[in-house]
Amino acid sequence: MIQPFTPDPLRWVADDGQPIRELPARFTPGVLRDLHRDMVRAREFDRKLVTLLRQGRTTFYAQSRGMEATQVGLARSIRVGHDWVWPYYRDHALGLTLGVPLLDLVSQCLGTNSDPSRGRQMPHHFAAKRQNFVSISSSIASQVPPAAGNALAQKYLGVDEITVCTFGDGATSEGDWHAGVNMAAVNAAPCLFVCENNQWAISTPLRGQMASETVHVKARAYGMPGYLVDGNDIIAVMEVMSHVAQEIRQGSGPALVECLTYRVGSHSNADADAEKNYRTREEVALWTGRDPITRVEGLLEHLGHPVSAEERAGLIAATHREVDEAVRQAEASGQPDWRIMFEDVYADLPVHLREQAASLRAEQTGGQA
Amino acid sequence: MTATESRPTAQGGGTQGPRTLTLIQAVTEALREELSRDERVVVFGQDVAARGGVFLATAGLQAEFGERRVFDTPLSEASIVGAAVGMAVRGMRPVAEIQFADYMGPGFDQIVSQAAKIRYRSGGQFTAPLVIRTPSGGGVKGGHHHSQSPEAYYTHTPGLKVVMPSTPYDAKGLLKAAIRGHDPVILFEPKRLYRAAKGEVPAADYTVELGRGAVRREGRDLTLIGYGGVMPDVEKAAQALSKEGVEAEVIDLRSLVPWDRDLVLTSVEKTGRAVLVSEAPRTANFMGEVAYVIQEALFDRLLAPVSQVAGFDTPYPYVQDRIYLPGANRIAAACVKTLNF
Ligand SMILES: Cc1ncc(C[n+]2csc(CCOP(=O)(O)OP(=O)(O)O)c2C)c(N)n1
Repeated sequence: MIQPFTPDPLRWVADDGQPIRELPARFTPGVLRDLHRDMVRAREFDRKLVTLLRQGRTTFYAQSRGMEATQVGLARSIRVGHDWVWPYYRDHALGLTLGVPLLDLVSQCLGTNSDPSRGRQMPHHFAAKRQNFVSISSSIASQVPPAAGNALAQKYLGVDEITVCTFGDGATSEGDWHAGVNMAAVNAAPCLFVCENNQWAISTPLRGQMASETVHVKARAYGMPGYLVDGNDIIAVMEVMSHVAQEIRQGSGPALVECLTYRVGSHSNADADAEKNYRTREEVALWTGRDPITRVEGLLEHLGHPVSAEERAGLIAATHREVDEAVRQAEASGQPDWRIMFEDVYADLPVHLREQAASLRAEQTGGQA
Repeated sequence: MTATESRPTAQGGGTQGPRTLTLIQAVTEALREELSRDERVVVFGQDVAARGGVFLATAGLQAEFGERRVFDTPLSEASIVGAAVGMAVRGMRPVAEIQFADYMGPGFDQIVSQAAKIRYRSGGQFTAPLVIRTPSGGGVKGGHHHSQSPEAYYTHTPGLKVVMPSTPYDAKGLLKAAIRGHDPVILFEPKRLYRAAKGEVPAADYTVELGRGAVRREGRDLTLIGYGGVMPDVEKAAQALSKEGVEAEVIDLRSLVPWDRDLVLTSVEKTGRAVLVSEAPRTANFMGEVAYVIQEALFDRLLAPVSQVAGFDTPYPYVQDRIYLPGANRIAAACVKTLNF
């Protein structure tokens, strides 16, 4: 039933929430409500972070509004703290749903002492050991070859884990992407490659990015199955991800899943005005109408378990409170001082860094070492 | 302006007097004029067309020159640089933009193996006169993916020319000279000066010769040498020293490969002291080469060891953005230490 290389995206639920094929039994109203909550939480986190950005309390943020079904669906299809994830910079909904504490995420974005990455990375580039969520790098597609290696190690070590590697559509143009996918394929490494195809790479549309019809067809050339999924249909995302993850666990080698979705907001805060220059209002409106959250609400209504307006407002308010509290705690933890600059460059502090740290200490304390 | 620069000529029409531009406006103007002047010039990179580049350096150029002259590429620095090499070899004048210097990595092999070497390995039969423009340096709270100063990797590669302006005048003149030259040139644009650096730029055509530094301030007590984003702080330090009665001669290198040894050596011979400033990490920093040349040529004339003020040997830290950079105080302190040696 779940076939690779379909011409149209695999989907279970129409834009308005009506099921278009039989709903798998595991999606009970209770489960759907949980998924709905996860998606609302991710969206409201997004909204609050954009506000923090406007207030100048952080300097960078990449929204994932509209892409919640893809990321939440993926997170709910893998084994947390067991499987490994090599993410890209738009993946906070993925991280949040995998259980990265909201305080850690907020602290990372604010660069406070409570940030596990210690204020070194640019905002929204977090790492979370407990979730095997390996550090986000800005450098497009640079996570793909290491993900292949991570999967190769899992195979060599004989552990029952898989590796998940996410990226945007633009990333598939980089040489690193091809190198990594090929490496995994040749070695039948247990790697699940997930393209979060939001159709734009900053101002470059898919058509300016690739001459192939879709992303997932590229899998064929590397000798692995490629799936095309409606990335705004969380049922479809979870059905396909679970199926593919299962096959990979059983030794099928890597696979590529393309989730067709849309980035409703701007690329990042650096892109706020220019957005108008390259996208049409009609296109944004069309995709806003395909919202993954209202789709699940439509489905729940169809199943006779509607989410009431109060319930939704309650969920939103709860997330806002949660983020506000995290911001309070993060800011109360203070700013990391200059010393952290020299730590974690190497396992031990080499002599030249010790000297440089000493010179900065003298400067910071006005000569009193 | 030094004597080696070409003077503004009367051609070009319109206002001939200088206007005040920002550094990024000067870049845009250089691109516009070169696109108009030479049909073989093309401008391309990620998001340079409709978006006008992430810093808007190419804003409006596609509308003016069309999709064949100014165009977007797929997200691949290897494709951008590699294609620029191929186009240049085949007779065009590509000006490629790499969105951030931090992202030249995926294009590195094309830069060092192809662009830099094609003339040499073909015995001069083929050449790749291309220009790669890229924003570099810190001070914009960009974290290490948007703040690094990787120029040393490229200065270490024979066959490449490497330049970094700090004024609008130089940005325009160097870019034009690079486009008209016969070698691959990497032009690092200090992004924190894009809008902060304002200055007079002639409306008439001119170029700034690659390989020539500029004296920004004359002095007798020591020579302060920098390039790119640190220059405003270097000048601030010189002003502060001047209030204490110390006159520093300030040199802006502008070009790293080739660099203006004569200008530097003449100045250090006069002052007897040199303080070298850059924001790149200290180890294998380009200024290490400048220091070496100074001590080799002027060992017996130096009144103090050549001193370096640089970034720390750590990845560029997000929170400590400002502390990491060598500001005016750190520069002035190094000068005082050198004077008191
Ligand atoms: C190697 C590299 N080149 C350029 C950039 C600048 N850049 C940041 S995001 C982006 C677009 C990425 O698009 P895509 O992969 O489709 O992901 P999306 O942002 O759309 O989710 C670019 C060009 C970068 N981060 N890394």
